[in-house]
Parts: sequence; structure tokens; C-alpha cells
Amino acid sequence: MPNKIGPLPQQPLRLGISVLAIVVCLLLILVSARTGFSRLLAKYAMLTHSIPAANEAISLAPSDPEAHRALASVFSRLRLFDGAKNELETATSLRPNDDYIWLELGNVKDELGDTEGAFAAFNEAVRFAPYYAHTRWQRGNLLLRMGRYPEAFADLRQAALSNRDFLPNLIDLAWGLSRGDVKTTEQMVQLSDDRARIALALFLAKHGQAREAVDQFHLAAASATEENKLDFQRQLIDANAFKEAFELRTGPTNAGNETTAVVYDGGFEGPLSFDEVVLGWRVPREQNGVSISLDATRPQSGLKSLQIQFNGNSNPRASLISQTVLVKPQQRYRINFAVRTQDVVTGGLPLISISDAVNGQLLGSSAAFPQATNSWQVLSFEFTTLEKTSAVNLSLQRNSCSSDPCPAFGFVWLDSFSIGELK
Amino acid sequence: MSLRRRKGLTAIAAALLFSVAQIGVHVSFAQPAAGVPPVPPQQFIARLATRNNVAITVNGNRAATGSSILTGATIETGPDQSATVNLGPLGVLDIAPNTKLVLTYDEQGNVKVMLLQGCAVLSTKKKTEGEITTQQGSAGKTDRKKGGILDVCFPPGASGPVVNQGAAVASGAGAGVGAPAGAAAASAGGIFGIGVPATIAILAGGGAAALTPTFFQTNPSGAI
Repeated sequence: MPNKIGPLPQQPLRLGISVLAIVVCLLLILVSARTGFSRLLAKYAMLTHSIPAANEAISLAPSDPEAHRALASVFSRLRLFDGAKNELETATSLRPNDDYIWLELGNVKDELGDTEGAFAAFNEAVRFAPYYAHTRWQRGNLLLRMGRYPEAFADLRQAALSNRDFLPNLIDLAWGLSRGDVKTTEQMVQLSDDRARIALALFLAKHGQAREAVDQFHLAAASATEENKLDFQRQLIDANAFKEAFELRTGPTNAGNETTAVVYDGGFEGPLSFDEVVLGWRVPREQNGVSISLDATRPQSGLKSLQIQFNGNSNPRASLISQTVLVKPQQRYRINFAVRTQDVVTGGLPLISISDAVNGQLLGSSAAFPQATNSWQVLSFEFTTLEKTSAVNLSLQRNSCSSDPCPAFGFVWLDSFSIGELK
Repeated sequence: MSLRRRKGLTAIAAALLFSVAQIGVHVSFAQPAAGVPPVPPQQFIARLATRNNVAITVNGNRAATGSSILTGATIETGPDQSATVNLGPLGVLDIAPNTKLVLTYDEQGNVKVMLLQGCAVLSTKKKTEGEITTQQGSAGKTDRKKGGILDVCFPPGASGPVVNQGAAVASGAGAGVGAPAGAAAASAGGIFGIGVPATIAILAGGGAAALTPTFFQTNPSGAI
């Protein structure tokens, strides 16, 4: 008998537990459905800047900080900063450890002109994310506007240390505040390593401080990658600092501003590179109707010459191959080179031209190449640099045709380029 | 005290005095500690706010809300980007998408915007003279006594700027940005602006769907 009575009390207990479990599950479903729907509404509200949708999100999940954050975002977008502040204060009370919400609150208070309130909010953000860049960067910028420069730069430097993306901004701020003083900028930035020094060098090159830029770059040269060097050279060239750009490759030039003009690798003995930006020949990556290669079959001097094959339509004004050459201002020079041609058929024959590297003014050009030569011919021409010319571009181009398009066919070989000063 | 001892004490005192004097000299000649960065002169600094905190370009670098804008800054917005520069006591500059300009200002109440391309709205307060110029010269100035608003658009390739015709606000500069969407939703009421009854219907429908498995469960064993 006890065997039959025994299980009876367990039945209602089991039922009770099951009902309770169902109720708990239903409650959880309800809560998660409300939260999920609230989040969906919050997202929608932010996308459409809809205050009613954000309010609905809050009414569905009043204790979800994301809903309050969404309403604050909508208020901010509509420039209703008081409302945004209230919502963000609620959000921070619901999730006090979230540095992003503190940052948003700080920004809104800053918009309202409540500098101290913004500072307090940013302090909280830094407290909860002390090693992250975004909190320090925001607080640093506020301190800067408050005129507390030493504290500001301490934060900004810390931010740039955590996230290198801020380094150019840090240098830019120091440069602006120091009114373009290199020494003060360097001291305010307090360069921590070679990478920071390279960033400063790039910045100075961009801002026309070529000499200081090169000095900084030399200090960090051991850590500079080939890409850094090319970047730096490009900046110097863009700033028309040709001499400094050359120094980077060749070492310091002669003292006393004496510049000796040289055509680098005038015999085309070295390899050609697409990326060469300063010292050497520049070959454009894409050229229609033209193929350029080194040829070892019949050089005029050395072991190789440059072969250019024209095989269709090409832009006659385009520079097919070029090189920047350092020169003295108001100086007369002579260019010598050897040329060989075969079956050249075109309305715009090729030639060598020299133009000012800064303003592009044409300073001189060779005669148009003959259409066919049995052997190498040496051509030369003279030009005089302008008052402010510091570098010239030597380039292979074509004469314009009388009509467009201007196709060309045949072969041209070049070798033995040299430049000499004339008394 | 013996004469010899007195002389000794005098010598010690003299040596001590000399040492103290040396310390004094060293302190007076002391330089600020190396490595302490110099403090530049105080100047007013403007504040940037960007739409949706999306980064724009300032002096070639990325900058978002909260960034500092110094005088002489070149500011550039891309498509779908707009920004506001809060100039504090001087006023506000709203920048539309696809705009490039150079902003200069000083503490004597002068704000100058060199609009290279795009649209901008400059609102100046009293005692501030604002001016927007383009490559063709001055597009307009605000009155220093009263302050004022300049709304200028200078699209690329245009023959001249469009001044004070609301073109800059229409192109996305200024307070009007984003307002219509919120207003439309507000007028309809309910979620997504579909009205309160429809909202209730959606919520009720969703709830019923969630609870359906509970009501219609068929477990032949009877156990749960």
C-alpha cells in the first residue's frame, strides 16, 4: 500500500514547479521581447530622428540605457541639448561604468556651455577607460579650450600614445598653438619614439619647413621604412623642397649652396622603377600605345640603353619618361644625349624637353628625333634657368600633331644623358 | 675660549657662509627643468561638432565632435557629412556636405570664411563682424553692431556664389538638418508613425505569437 500512496504528494509538487517554470519562461520571453523591441525602436528613432519612436522605446524598457541614449541622440540631432542632457544623465545612472555614455554627456554639456559639467563627465569617462585614446582625446580637447594647456597636452599625448591615428592631430594642434614654431611644437608634442619623429618630419615637410623636416627625419632614419622615405620625399617634392629631397637619398649636398647638376643613371644601366620619385628616372605606370624597356643589344655606352616602342595612339603631351635634376638659378646648361630610331611614323615626333620643376615653364628642348637612323646620333641643346629655378624636369615627350588622335609607331633608343654648366 | 679655537670657529663659519652663498647663486641661476613644455599664449579655440559624430577632415586629418578648431584651419566635408563650428562669443559656422573652406577668427571679433567650394552658414553675434569670401572676392559681411547671418553657396564650376537665398541651409548646413523626419513621425503618433491603434495591434499580435506554443502544446505523456 505505501507503494501506491508514496508518489501521490509528488504529483502536485511537480505540477507546481512546472507551472512556475512556465511563468518564469513567459516573463523572460516578455522582458526580452520588450527589450528587443525597444532596441529596434531605438535604432529606428536614431535613423529617422523620431522623438515619438525613441519615447516608445523608453516606455517599453525604461531601465535600458540604450533607449535613453537613443532619445538623447535624437534630441542632440535636433539641437535640443537640454533634453539630451537629461536623457544621458538617466543613462549614466543606469549604466555608470559606460565611458561612451559619459563622453556623450560631456559633449552635450559642452554644447550647452556647461564647461565644468562637461569636464566632470569626461573625468568619469577617463576613470572608466583610462588607457583608451578616445576618452583622453576628448578631455584633452576640452582642457585646451579651457586654456589649461599643460594638462590638455598631457591628455592629448596619452591619447596619441594609445592610438597613433591621433598623432597627426596632436602635432597639428601644437603647431597651431605655437604659431608655427618648430621648437615649441616639438616640445609640446614630446616625441616619444622614432615613429612620432617621422610623423613630425612629414608634417613639417608638408608645411614648408623642409630643413627642419629633414633634420627630424635623419634623427629617426634608423627606424624609417622604405615607404616612410618615399612618403617623405613626396611631401618634400610637393613642397618644392627639391634639394632636401635629394639629400635624403644622396646625403648632405655640398656646403655653401653649391649645386652640381647631374643626370642620374644617364646611361640607363640601373633598373627602372615605377616608384622612383626623386633620384632617377620616373616611368608612369600606365601608358597607352607605348612600351618602355631596357635593351642590351646595341647600347651607345655601357651595357644597356632605353628602348621605347610606339604602337598606336598615345598622348603627345604626356611625359613618357622623366627625371628631376637639381640646378642653379640663372645658369646656362647644355644637355647631351644619344638617340637611335627605327621606322618611326607619326605626325608628332619625339623630343627631349626641359621645364622648370615648380611652375612647369618650358626652358628648352631638343630637335625632334629623326624618323630613322642607321646608328646612334648625339644630340645636344642648351637652356637657361630662371631667377628662382632650383630644379628642372627633363622629359621625353612628343610634338603635338595637327589633328587628334595622334598615333605613333616605331622604335626609339636613348642613351648617355649628361648635363653640363656653361660659363 | 682660546684664540686658536676662536679662529677655528671663525674659519668654519666663513666656510659655511660661503657654501650657503654658493647654493644661493646656483638657485638664482637655475633654469627651468629640461623637458617641461613651454606654454603658448592663451587664445580662443573653437569647437567642432559633426553630424552623427562622423569624422570630417580638418587640416588633412580626421576630426569628429569635440575636436578643437584653431584659427586658419582648413575644413572639408564629404558627401553625407556636415558639421558645426561653435565659435563661442563670436557665433556659429554651419558647414554643408561637400564643402571645403578656410576659417580664420580672432579675439577682436573678426570671423572670416574663405569658401573654396560648397555651402556654409555663418551666424555672428553682436560685436562680431563675419565675412564669407570666395575666389571671386567678398560674398557678404555681417553687421558688427547687430550681428547677422550669411548663407552662401559656391558650387564647383559656378559662375558666382549664391548669397542669402537659403541655398546653404537647403543643402544641409544648419539647424534644419534632420528635423522633418522627427516632425513627420510626431504628427502620426505611435511607433514608426503608424498611429497608436496600429502600434497596439502589432504589440498584441507579437505577444500572441510568442505565447501560442504555450497554449497549444500537445504532449501525450501528460508530463511537462
